[in-house]
Amino acid sequence: MSNNDILDMYIYETNTLLEQLESIVLDAEKENTFSQDNVNEIFRIMHTIKGSSAMMEFDTLARVSHRIEDMFFLIREGTMSVVKDEDRPALFDVMLHSVDYFREEMEKVEAEQPLNEDVDSFLGNINSLIAKIKGEEIPAEPAPQTAAAPAAAPAAPSVPPAQTSEGSAEFPYGLRVFFDEGCGMENLRAFMLVTSVQGFCADADFTYQPAGVESDSSLSETVIEHGFLLQFRSEADRARAVPIVMTAGSVHSYEEQNYVPAPPPAAEPAPAAQEAAPAAQKAPAAPAAQATAQQHQQGQKESLISVGLSKLDQLSAIVGEIVITEAMVTASPDLKGLHLDAFSKSARQLRKLTDELQDVSMSLRMIPVSNTFQKMNRIVRDMCKKLNKQVKLTLVGENTEVDKTIVDSIGDPIMHMVRNSMDHGIEENVQDRIDAGKDPVGEILLSAQDTGSEVIIQISDDGAGVNDEAVLAKAIRNGIASADVEYSHKEILNFLMAPGFSTNAQVTEFSGRGVGMDVVKSGVESLGGSVSITSEQGRGMTTIMRIPLTMAIMDGMEVSVGHSIFTIPINNIRSSIKLTEADILHDSVNGEMVKMLDGYYPVIRARDFYNLPGGAEKIEDGILMWLESGDCSYCLFVDELLGEQQIVVKPLPAYVNNFDIKNYGITGCSILGDGNISIILDAGGLYAAARNL
Amino acid sequence: MSKENVLFQVEEDELDRPVQEDEGAGSRKHLIFTVDDLKIGIDAEQVVEIQNSYAATYLPMMPDYILGIFNMRGQIIPIMDIRLRLGKLPAEEGILIVIDYNNNQLGIQVDSVDLMLDIPNDSIVPIPSQSAQKLVSGMCTLPDGSGTMLVLDCEQLIARGYGD
Repeated sequence: MSNNDILDMYIYETNTLLEQLESIVLDAEKENTFSQDNVNEIFRIMHTIKGSSAMMEFDTLARVSHRIEDMFFLIREGTMSVVKDEDRPALFDVMLHSVDYFREEMEKVEAEQPLNEDVDSFLGNINSLIAKIKGEEIPAEPAPQTAAAPAAAPAAPSVPPAQTSEGSAEFPYGLRVFFDEGCGMENLRAFMLVTSVQGFCADADFTYQPAGVESDSSLSETVIEHGFLLQFRSEADRARAVPIVMTAGSVHSYEEQNYVPAPPPAAEPAPAAQEAAPAAQKAPAAPAAQATAQQHQQGQKESLISVGLSKLDQLSAIVGEIVITEAMVTASPDLKGLHLDAFSKSARQLRKLTDELQDVSMSLRMIPVSNTFQKMNRIVRDMCKKLNKQVKLTLVGENTEVDKTIVDSIGDPIMHMVRNSMDHGIEENVQDRIDAGKDPVGEILLSAQDTGSEVIIQISDDGAGVNDEAVLAKAIRNGIASADVEYSHKEILNFLMAPGFSTNAQVTEFSGRGVGMDVVKSGVESLGGSVSITSEQGRGMTTIMRIPLTMAIMDGMEVSVGHSIFTIPINNIRSSIKLTEADILHDSVNGEMVKMLDGYYPVIRARDFYNLPGGAEKIEDGILMWLESGDCSYCLFVDELLGEQQIVVKPLPAYVNNFDIKNYGITGCSILGDGNISIILDAGGLYAAARNL
Repeated sequence: MSKENVLFQVEEDELDRPVQEDEGAGSRKHLIFTVDDLKIGIDAEQVVEIQNSYAATYLPMMPDYILGIFNMRGQIIPIMDIRLRLGKLPAEEGILIVIDYNNNQLGIQVDSVDLMLDIPNDSIVPIPSQSAQKLVSGMCTLPDGSGTMLVLDCEQLIARGYGD
C-alpha cells in the first residue's frame, strides 16, 4: 500500500463519513433535535476524521474536527437538553457549514492544492457555540480538551517488559513501537512503518506483529494495547529502523528488546496475539455506545469493497464477449443436422450460467439513486433559507437502482431542475399560494421509477407553473422564436430547453445564468435519454427525464436493408406495418407520409437516407417501422424484420466518430451471434438528421 | 544487501548495452506492402496483424475510402481502402493490415504484403517537396536494391478523418 493509496482511502472514507453526517444533520434539523444515537454517531464521525486527518498531517482539518468533537462531547454528556432552543439553528448551521468546509478541503486534497489555513473565524463560531452550550453546564464538567482525549482512547497502554520471550530465535532483535494516545488508525500507521522498513530491509529479514494490520482495522486495539512489534534478523537492520520510527508521525515511544530463549517456548506469543484479536472484537460488550457504533461500522466495511470502475467495465466487456461467443459456439453451422443430446444438454447448462453471469456483472454496476436524491435535501434547505420560501422535498423511489455512470451524470440535471423549481417555480409570496388555494408550504416531488427498460426521473413542483406568454416573449427577444408564428403550448415549453434561455430577469446565485435547461437536455441526451416538460399555469411544472437503464446491454429489433443489418432499440418501436405503395401520401416537397391511427407520420426510407447499396424499393417489398423517440414519431422503411435480440452495445471506433456519424442517427454497433456486425440506430437522431437534409 | 544491489546494476548495464547499440545504429523493422505498384513501408511496431479474409460491414455516411468496419475478435475496427485514400482506382481484392497508432486501430486494405525489412533510420530521407505525396512522411532506397519505399505517415492517416 503506497502513500497514494492511503490518501485515496482517506479521501474516500472521509467523504463517505461526510455524506453520513450531512444526512444525519438534515434529518435532525427537521425534528430540531439530535437523538442520542445521532450525537454518538456524529461524535464517532468527527473522531475518525480527526484521527485520520492528523495522520495525514492535515492539521487544520484535525483542529476543526477536534473542536466539533469537543462540542459533541458536551452534548453527549448532557444530552440535547444542554443546547437551548434558540441556539439550535446555529448548531445545525455550523454542522452543515462544517460539512461544506470538509468537502471543499477534500477536493483540495484530491487536487493536491494547499489547504485553507485560515480557519480561525470558523473555529470561533464553534467555540462561541461551545461557550453557549457550556453556559448551562455545571462547573464540575471536565474541560472539553482533556475530556475528549480519554474518550478517544479508552485503553491506556500497559508497559511491557524490556526483556521478552516474545519473538523467535530467527528474528531476535525486536523493536516495539507505541503510538500517541487517540491518534486513530493505529493499524495503518503501523503498516506505514512496515512499508518504510521494507525500503531498506528485505521481506525475509524482518517480521512484524500483529500481522495483517493493513487490512484489519480491529487490530488497532491490539496495537494500542501492546504496541506494534517489529522483529529483525540482524541488529544492524534494527539500528537503521530506529531513526525511521523516531521520525514517523504520531509515534509516542519505542523500545528495543532482545529475544531471550525462555522456558515457556516461543509458542506463547502467537496465542497471545490471537487472544488479543478476538478480545478486540468482543470488546463492544462494554456499555459504551461509541464502541458499538464502531463495531457496526466495521461489520459494514468488511462486507463492502471498493473496486475501480474500469475493472468493472472490463468485466462487463468480457462477459459481453462470453455471451456472444457462447451463442457462436452453440449455434455453430458445423453442428447443423447433428443430434447431439449430451452437447445440447451441456449447452443449455452453459447458457443458463452465462445468463446468470451476465445478470450478476450488470448488477455490480447498479447503485441506488438515493445518494443523489439525498443531496437535493440540502439544496432545498439552503435555498429555502436564502430565498425565504417554505418548501418541502418529497422523495419517491430513491432505492431505484441504475447504472453507476447514469447515477453520476444525472446528479447535475436533477440539481438544475430542483434549483429551477425553487427559484422560478415556487411562488415568491406565501400569500400568492394561499390565494390560489394551495398549501402555504410548497412541495417539490422527486421520484425515480424503474420500468424495466428505462428509468424515469420526475421532478415536479406545485408552484406557479410556466407562463406561456412570458416565455414566448423572452424567446422572441432572444431570437429563438419568431414573432409572427403561432406556437403551441408544447413548442413554447420546448423553448425553455433552448440554449441560452433563462426566464428569470435577474441572475441569481442559484439559477438563471442562462445555462441550465439546455444543459439538462444535452446531459440527459448524452445518456441516450430524453427530457420533456409539462406545465399548467398556476399548478406547477413537471420535468420528466427518461433514461435507458443501462447503456451496455439492450433489447433491440434487428432489421435488414440490403446487406446491412441495423438494430433499433425496442423502446423506440411502436409497431411495424406492411403497407403498399398506394398508402403513401405525398406532400408538396416530395416528402412521403402515411396515415396511422390518429394522424399522419413522415416516412423515411433507410435505403435512401443512408445511400445503401441495396434494399427494397417498393413499399410492398419491405416493412414500415413506426418509431417514436421523445417528441418525434415517424416511420422508417426497411426490408425485413430479423427478430428481437438482446445485444451488447459497442461504441464505434474513435476514428469513425471523427466523421460525425453520430449526427446521422448511428450510435454504436453490436456483434451478432454469427460474428457479423449490426449498426445501432438512434431513432431520435435519425429523424433530426433526416429533417435537416 | 548493498553489494547485491551493485552486482545487479552491473548485470543490468550489460543487458542494456546491445540494445542501445542497436538503437544507435538506428534501424527499425518495416513492413513493406504494395499498393498500385508503389512500395510502401510502415513501422512494424505499429502493425497489429495481417488478415487475409475479413467481412467488412458497410457503414453509411462515411467517405468512400472507408469500406466499413469489421469484427476482429470482439474489437470493432474500421477498414480503409488505401487505394481510394490515395486517389487511385479500387482493386478487386486485397489484404488487410491492422495497425495501431496511439491506441487508434485501423485496418488498411492493400494489394499485397511483401516482406519485413530492417531499414536504417538515416537512410530515410524527406520527400522532395514539389512531389509531395499524400500521407507519406519520407522515402528510402531499399537495402536489397529492389526499389524505393515510401514511408507511410500513420499520424496523418488517422488524423485526416477530421478534415475531409
